[in-house]
Amino acid sequence: MNYKMLFCTAVLLAGLPAICLASRDSIAFVDSVRGEATIESAGRSIPAVANMKMFTGDLVRTGSKGSVGLIFDDDSVVAIGPESELQVEEFLFHPAEDELSFVARMFKGTFSFITGQIAKLAPEKVRLETPEATLGVRGTKFAVEIK
Amino acid sequence: MIKNGKVLYFLGTLVVAASLCLSGCSRKTTVVLLPEDDGGAGAMTVSTDAGTVEIVRAGEATVVSSRTSRPSPPEELSSEEIESVFGEVLKNLPMKPVHFILYFEFGTTKLTADSTARLVEVLAAIERRSSESISVVGHTDTVGDTSHNRRLAKGRAEAVSRLLVDKGVHRDYIRSTSHGESNPLVETGDNVRELRNRRVEVVVR
Repeated sequence: MNYKMLFCTAVLLAGLPAICLASRDSIAFVDSVRGEATIESAGRSIPAVANMKMFTGDLVRTGSKGSVGLIFDDDSVVAIGPESELQVEEFLFHPAEDELSFVARMFKGTFSFITGQIAKLAPEKVRLETPEATLGVRGTKFAVEIK
Repeated sequence: MIKNGKVLYFLGTLVVAASLCLSGCSRKTTVVLLPEDDGGAGAMTVSTDAGTVEIVRAGEATVVSSRTSRPSPPEELSSEEIESVFGEVLKNLPMKPVHFILYFEFGTTKLTADSTARLVEVLAAIERRSSESISVVGHTDTVGDTSHNRRLAKGRAEAVSRLLVDKGVHRDYIRSTSHGESNPLVETGDNVRELRNRRVEVVVR
């Protein structure tokens, strides 16, 4: 962790931020995609495809017939329905260092979740936001609609 | 005159209703707790600035119309109601990843008889998920030096990967790595034989 930060700082000082961005750890991958779906990552929007990696800060957006299934590193699984938007604001899964957190924001649409190891090990570190409410989770399966 | 007053009152009501709608009734969040595969259910809290509601039973739901109002009291949704709103998004929920631990004979890359038998379950999990993401991580106990154990753990991960490939799993779907003796399941001193640390962890996603 510290080595990586040192490395990144050095790379940034050398004026090569692209290398640093490329070396950041992925946090999830796209398990399935139907219809129209994009992932906005570091300011660029690209069509979502199966096995694509996701990073902290990424925003998933689906069209009127779109849907996306995601699998996170802590074994959380999430499905995103049509006309939906979800952004992962924070995701840390380093159990050995006790660095755990999962914060995501849903802007609109339908979602289903089965939470994984972060919710089991540190439920207080899981926070899901909708425009109207803040959800806290104790290891479970649930669904959310925002309309 | 009375008529005009009524019209004004009516218009006023419309304006109030419209402004309420802008902040409230144009959007709402519904949260429903669902049964887990084992039939049980966890628990959730749904909070706004006005308060928190807890839902604790499978099928229980709460509705929130704004940050400044309390979430509605928990109410049970029928399976038909859940299906009509969430059927599609539940169908697309990926299967949860599954973890397996396979053990080895001392100092070798040979699986124990029990663990060899468990390979069938690993293969079944891969098939059920049509998995294209399988990680295989090798470990050793603390007998022998670090660099030897790094190689041994790598050999174990590769042995398991080969067994899976022999059974038809695509090699590109497997990511095999070695943790050597650095990540034991059971903490021991140095040079301690420990079956539970001589292992490969397989995660099928």
